[in-house]
Amino acid sequence: MINLILLFPILACIILKYSKKEFLNTWLINIYATLHVLTSVFALLDLDFLPFWKSSAFFEINNRNIVFLAVMSLVFLAVSIYNNGYLKSEIVSAKKLRHYTYMVMFFVLSMTGAVLSTNLGVSWVFIEATTLASAYLIYFHKTKHSIEAAWKYVFICSIGIALAFVGIILLTFATGNMNSLFFNDLYLNASSFNPFWLKLSFVFILFGIGTKMGLAPVHFWLPDAHAQAPSPISALLSATLLNSAFLMILNVFGIMTTANCDEYARLMMLVMGFLSIFVTAVFVYHINNYKRMLAYSSVENMGILIIGIALGGIGAVASIIHLIGHSLIKASFFLTAGNVLKIYSTKKIKSVGQLLKIDPKTGWLWLLSFLGIVAFPPSLLFLSEFLLVKTMFQQDRFIMSAVFLILLTIILYGMAKAVLKMSFSEGNEEKIANAKLNVKTLDWTMYLPQILMLTLVFILGLYLPEYISKFISNTVVGF
Amino acid sequence: MENIFIILLGLSMIYIASTSRLAAHVNMLIAQGWLLFFVCLSGFAKEPWFDITIFKGFESIIANVTHIWGLLFVFFETLVIKGYVIPWFLKKVIQKTHAHRDTDANIPHFYCLVISSIILFAGFLAANIALPEFKMINPMYFGVSLAMIITSLWLITIKHKVLSNVIGFITMENGIFLLSLSVAKEMPIIVNLGVLLDLFIAVFILGMLIREIDNEFHDMEVSHLSDLKDYEYND
Repeated sequence: MINLILLFPILACIILKYSKKEFLNTWLINIYATLHVLTSVFALLDLDFLPFWKSSAFFEINNRNIVFLAVMSLVFLAVSIYNNGYLKSEIVSAKKLRHYTYMVMFFVLSMTGAVLSTNLGVSWVFIEATTLASAYLIYFHKTKHSIEAAWKYVFICSIGIALAFVGIILLTFATGNMNSLFFNDLYLNASSFNPFWLKLSFVFILFGIGTKMGLAPVHFWLPDAHAQAPSPISALLSATLLNSAFLMILNVFGIMTTANCDEYARLMMLVMGFLSIFVTAVFVYHINNYKRMLAYSSVENMGILIIGIALGGIGAVASIIHLIGHSLIKASFFLTAGNVLKIYSTKKIKSVGQLLKIDPKTGWLWLLSFLGIVAFPPSLLFLSEFLLVKTMFQQDRFIMSAVFLILLTIILYGMAKAVLKMSFSEGNEEKIANAKLNVKTLDWTMYLPQILMLTLVFILGLYLPEYISKFISNTVVGF
Repeated sequence: MENIFIILLGLSMIYIASTSRLAAHVNMLIAQGWLLFFVCLSGFAKEPWFDITIFKGFESIIANVTHIWGLLFVFFETLVIKGYVIPWFLKKVIQKTHAHRDTDANIPHFYCLVISSIILFAGFLAANIALPEFKMINPMYFGVSLAMIITSLWLITIKHKVLSNVIGFITMENGIFLLSLSVAKEMPIIVNLGVLLDLFIAVFILGMLIREIDNEFHDMEVSHLSDLKDYEYND
């Protein structure tokens, strides 16, 4: 099945290029999303209808990446449902629409490749490919601001990823006589690697791929790109792209733990993680653009993920739980932000008001997504953050846990201020008059995916089945 | 022999740092493509199979097909892409946007010359540290590639035109290419191919964006691209 999801987008693009039918734009994305979900479901159930298409040297589904693949499928399905309604209300030329479809296909293809690859070099290639495929999507609206965001995105990420390649070359120095970049070979021989080069290479890979993952202090592209991209793309960027970069760091960290150099790696990851949360706490407090606010929240959550891995043990498990919760909630948050943008035609928090009165459905989704992301108890994030703090207590890191909780509270306050203001305050009168007319343009497909994702997250927060937690703990075995 | 080419690569970085004409920068990119080709070729020349006779007759070509494939790939990567396609594309961008010079850099060119020389020197020093870990690498390759990467990163921060930033990015990639040659190991060809493709598309996309920037702002100053902020911000 793997080859199917890697080959389908190419085939679909060729079909679209030659048929040029308008309805194919959304339908091809829908079909691809369905195939993606089917592949994940079959992988989770350990079934395969096309077994002879399973094996290939560079791609496989294994314990490490299966959760990432499943989360990606789910988010992509949600985004593709939303996309049907979104493109209907977007006034663009047929050619531009086709380009959008090609690029979404290639973007998801490259993320899938990055998640499934079994070779460090190949996953590097795919991570870089994600940058290139999503550049056009960020530039989609063709305004001055979107040019700026796309330029920063491509340039900063390309340099970061180039530095990660330096890290890979340094890793080949460390491997001595071995000439292979397959993760399995690297894990097998890790104990004989030269620690000096290995540590140096981890610095480069963490900073390089950390750029892509949005960790402070190399997160600068992230708020700009997420704020300027069309809302379905923001959801994909935040909920799947950052995860696929995280998986690559996780894979390299696996080498570090087997080589017993993890003490040093953990320290660096902790520093970057806390810096990310700190940066968010500082910037989210006075923010005046709600899409930027969500983007900063992604920086924060990536920080939490990396802290969890750095703590190890239950913390690492909590990190993967957090990843699932964050992806689903943040995708729903960004999609709802797309609705808000359609209703009010502004990204300014100040001009938005009476959201609950004007469109109750969007208003409630907005509030529920907010409650989910700040880890209000039934949310899955509550479980993960609770486990993280518990791990910190177990490791006698009381000051760290205090700092962690204080920073999270500041972020909660900053976000709550904005979200509540948008939902309940009077707002800009002129915008609100227009808003009532704009609500009618929203399609039912622009509510359904958020409802599904939020329901799933809140149910999982109440009851996490044994079946799923088995996959989660398999992902981080040995950390 | 290869040391001469490597030193010339280091010197080309000093030249890029100390001149402001964009056309000269692009010419240096062509030179770097050729120099990298010669460095690779002199690396191949040490191999026992490297001989003109491998091209003689169908049977010897079949017997040496992996070597020939490697040779062809290096030829394509350095001469065709780095030495021809990318510079040609950048020259076209320069013509379209009428930006010929990158003046008013943050640091005067004379100082750039001094600083880039110091970086090159520091690269040599770093490569010749007598640590046991450094035994397996070739100090010449390692030192110059280190200097190339650091000089490029530094140039990106001080230059004012977006096109100069792209040129800095490409010289950095050339430095990384040299670094990968410093240890006698080959990446799998699929990885090399992927890296090359990514570099090529990245330059292509950046070039397209430069044109859009030029259309929108009527010149290519980096300072125009600072409108997205967190506080006073309209959208």
